[in-house]
Amino acid sequence: MQKYSISVLLAGALLIAGCGGSATAKSTSGGGGGGGTTSGTSNTMAIAVNGGPTVGQAGGGIYPNAAFASATICAPGSTSSCVTVSGLLLDTGSTGLRVLQSALSSLNLPSVDASNSSAAYDCVSFVDGSYLWGPVQGADVTLGAETATNLPIQVISTSNDAPSSCSNGSTINANSLATLGANGILGVGVEQTDCFYEGASACDPAFGLASPPYPAYYTCSGTSCSPAFIATGNQVANPVVLFPKDNNGVIVELPAVSGSAASVSGSLVFGIGTESNNQLPSGASIFTLTCDDFGTTFDGQKYDITNASNCSGSGSFIDSGSNGLYFPDASNIPTCPKDTSVGDLSSFYCPSSTENLSATMTAADGTTKNVSFSVQNAESLFTGSTDSDAALGGLAGTNPSGVGFDWGLPFFYGVNLYSAIDGQAMPSGAPAAPWWAY
Amino acid sequence: MPNSIAKTWRRVTRINMNMSNGSPSFCRPLGSVAAFVALLAITMGSSLPAFASLGGNAGSIQADTARMGASVNVSNTDNCEVHQLQSPAGTVVNEYISSSGTVFAVSWHGPFLPDMQQILGSYFQQYSAALSSQSRQYGHRPLNIRQSGLVVQTGGHMRAHWGRVYVPSLVPEGVSAEQLQ
Repeated sequence: MQKYSISVLLAGALLIAGCGGSATAKSTSGGGGGGGTTSGTSNTMAIAVNGGPTVGQAGGGIYPNAAFASATICAPGSTSSCVTVSGLLLDTGSTGLRVLQSALSSLNLPSVDASNSSAAYDCVSFVDGSYLWGPVQGADVTLGAETATNLPIQVISTSNDAPSSCSNGSTINANSLATLGANGILGVGVEQTDCFYEGASACDPAFGLASPPYPAYYTCSGTSCSPAFIATGNQVANPVVLFPKDNNGVIVELPAVSGSAASVSGSLVFGIGTESNNQLPSGASIFTLTCDDFGTTFDGQKYDITNASNCSGSGSFIDSGSNGLYFPDASNIPTCPKDTSVGDLSSFYCPSSTENLSATMTAADGTTKNVSFSVQNAESLFTGSTDSDAALGGLAGTNPSGVGFDWGLPFFYGVNLYSAIDGQAMPSGAPAAPWWAY
Repeated sequence: MPNSIAKTWRRVTRINMNMSNGSPSFCRPLGSVAAFVALLAITMGSSLPAFASLGGNAGSIQADTARMGASVNVSNTDNCEVHQLQSPAGTVVNEYISSSGTVFAVSWHGPFLPDMQQILGSYFQQYSAALSSQSRQYGHRPLNIRQSGLVVQTGGHMRAHWGRVYVPSLVPEGVSAEQLQ
């Protein structure tokens, strides 16, 4: 898709990514591919929308509108048995660190057990039909200068050995760089672990289910794997929660993008109201959540949870792991052709000229805020003079009616987005998490 | 909260009446009518109830409903019927049944994906093929796959999945499958 490799340009961009203050280089061994840095002030780390680790690879291309980060992953208690993995997709819409087995090189990590004392495996289903499968293993994970000790992570299995109840009809096992477009996913969402929902984890036996929910956690006997319960402390966890400090949330900071840009650099800041650089601005609007969603009114339609008791309705959410703005076609913006030089784009919008639109976000407590956004012609963005740009501010597509408003990465440009983790202590005056604020 | 959750799938059944007030006619999800749900809520015993699946017949579900003594009002103007099942872990599955008794659409929302083999039945392979047919562009995003024989739509995020699968040729006249939640 791209005309030329932008990896050289990006390496430079990453090294100067705004951290400020004294940068301390971490000493690590091993390697997880070029690019990326883990240096920074104590609670800040560099992120970049740079097309990701597939740029310049044969058959690869630019992963548009995805912010990438690095993590240093060590065997628990070790400072020498470590690998620094770059090209991790920063995802505020999921929770937990998941790393391709191939990106961990020869690093050996201990298994983590399910409640039946067998090694646990994790299965994650994404809305695009892809899934990730692999063992849960313990690691000391350093992001910037903050370390989560004994963090359960998912190691994405290279082989196709997921049970059928995990793949669940999907053939898209995103277990390689070519299929994932990243070396892993860094999920720093609003929940404690990947099985948490509305303040509780149904995967923990204490939740009280008669049988383990699936697809989620499994244990295996030979090649036969079955759903299993797993204690909350052993579930693939939000790394931020296991930091000794600055552990109640994150701020995603990305600069504004006018139209599109080859790449942009920003910061992931840890903690909310815990340091001088992560105070909640007095003018920020806080969006408390119902069922991890809030409301968006667009073109006369309100997309929100309508029944909190079973979370039905069409909620809206902010998700750095969605690479566009996705919303129901309420205003008859034309969609793109099925047949284009870059494949079927029919789920993206293709207005003849840039559409400048606005919507109103509504929090669970009634707080509202107007948001302006632009929709550009996706086919032009992918095939025109911007075809080598990684940051596409006007990329948008359809959500089926019934799903609400997915505020993906374009929303983050020019915004410092605060994401507060459920169950963690909040600064005085702030509501109980989970919430988003900006 | 855990104590209030039944240990097995909970079935809620409702017969929808054809709407005659000029608004488009379609099956509404049960969640929007709390009183109705309370009236008809049935807590199952210890076994998992049989699902009807996409393209299949609703007879077994109606038999189950009758055996359990559910009170259901049937109207002659019905053109659509919803069977709603809620798993103890919180996932809701809606099965939409035409007046001829065929499941023409299924939808789901909740923290865990439903068992697709179970709810899609004979359409499972077609669903799988539809997922594989997408051109693989990097980026997690909702799906809106429209094939002549099957429409697959999904969205949401971790622990908040949403999806709908329907067979266009089975959708009753006057029902907008796009409106099925």
